[in-house]
Amino acid sequence: MAEIGHGGKEIVERIMEPAEAAEKIKGLTAIPIRSQLANEVIGITYGFFSPLQGFMGKADVDSVCKNMTLADGTVWSIPILLDLSDAEISEYGVKEGVTVLLTYQDNPMAILEVEEIFEYDKKAMCQAVLGTDEEKHPGCARTYEYKDKFVGGKLTLVNRPKINAPFEPYFIPPLEMRKRFKEKGWERIVAHQTRNVPHTGHEWLCKGAWFQSYAELPIEKPLVGVLINAIIGSKRKGDYIDEAIILTHDELRKSGYFGDHNHLTSLTFWDMRYAGPKEAIFHSMLRTNLGLTHHMFGRDHAGVGDYYGTYEAHHLLAGVQDKLSVTPVYSMNWLYCPHCGEITSEGLCDHKDEQQKFSGTLIRSIVMDGVKPPRLIFRPEVFDLVMECAEKYGFGSPFVTDEYLEKRTPVFSILPMSA
Amino acid sequence: MAEKYPINLWVNEERYEKLQKAGLAEMCEEMLAGMKVIRVYADDNQKDKILQVFPTAKFDASTTKSIELLPKAVKDKIFDKVIEKQTIDMMDDFLSAY
Repeated sequence: MAEIGHGGKEIVERIMEPAEAAEKIKGLTAIPIRSQLANEVIGITYGFFSPLQGFMGKADVDSVCKNMTLADGTVWSIPILLDLSDAEISEYGVKEGVTVLLTYQDNPMAILEVEEIFEYDKKAMCQAVLGTDEEKHPGCARTYEYKDKFVGGKLTLVNRPKINAPFEPYFIPPLEMRKRFKEKGWERIVAHQTRNVPHTGHEWLCKGAWFQSYAELPIEKPLVGVLINAIIGSKRKGDYIDEAIILTHDELRKSGYFGDHNHLTSLTFWDMRYAGPKEAIFHSMLRTNLGLTHHMFGRDHAGVGDYYGTYEAHHLLAGVQDKLSVTPVYSMNWLYCPHCGEITSEGLCDHKDEQQKFSGTLIRSIVMDGVKPPRLIFRPEVFDLVMECAEKYGFGSPFVTDEYLEKRTPVFSILPMSA
Repeated sequence: MAEKYPINLWVNEERYEKLQKAGLAEMCEEMLAGMKVIRVYADDNQKDKILQVFPTAKFDASTTKSIELLPKAVKDKIFDKVIEKQTIDMMDDFLSAY
């Protein structure tokens, strides 16, 4: 039976079998790509970004910028682009109608059928997608780093990525994810977007969303799950290391704060644009493809600095809700109230003068100070695992350092095709 | 009144011992289910200077309105200055070295 994804389109994996792939790539010009593009190749070819079949052409980019849709009218909020310089286009002989081989880590990854080479005003793109053209916005900075030409065309993966330890169990592409949900018998699944090690505010955000999503469903058997979907992409110094993020979320299940019956951890490769409202729309589309029915959106979802209003993402989502397949689950801050003696929601507790707010940033500061937070704030199993990850994967630190960036094992590898 | 932004010096055993020795243990507040903390405050100008001098630091504008992610070595220096001056009103003194 067809699996239907975002925009009502069937999700189709664009992946070639090894024997056919070995033949197809013979004689193709190889073009090396950087990690962001490799992440997006995976996103497109496995169906995370369905209905995209490749890197966007100009009509789609223009429509995304001007209408927040693809050229065919399907809602889409962020351009997905392959950029090349004039020199590279000339060196590799890239032109409309040719097929080229995209390589990553010096090995074949995907073939690209070049349909179009075009230019686009990056400043206009930033303004349209990010609501600003300021270079200090990290999404603008990323856009301005694009080379001068864009190449649109369909992609086919010729070499599946090898997901390295400890990430292997968490790479669950859309078609496989949907099978898992069926096996679990979940009728509703609510997504939690994360790039953080979970504190109890996150835990209760998920628990609150689970209650909200359960709503009128019968409770005799588990019908609702929380999917933790960690975004794995480029890292900044001071972030938690990827290994700590993914393993600690799963630890909440293993340690019984959730269970197999209601919790699953997974990852998606994506380099955040910090596009706030537009990124919220993107997350909604992405999680539709993963088979989710609901999605948590907190305050200033996927924002940065003070570029976006606290509830701007909610308003934009509401404006296109009839064209999206996931139901948004909005949540207020979870905080600690010493009077209640518990984690509670700012929408529930009325001890306004006593409430103590905490954030992932605050918890990182506590950990950096060498203090173990109490279990009401940060689960001891999570803290211990963060420290274990620091030793095992982080060269002594749970946070990204120059040494980590230089020496870490990549999350995935593209191996030689004969391997 | 001008806005003040806290820097949280979370008090581990080592820091608590130093405070006790200096007779300053009562400076600690309790936050977040019993954690001990000393809060020193920066005004707008001091906040801007801190964020400029220590690029890993971040002002948590959306949730806590506090200055976070200062390296532990920097926080240790601030903590030592608190002990030396026996007051949390020491930010100008601390920043004069930068």
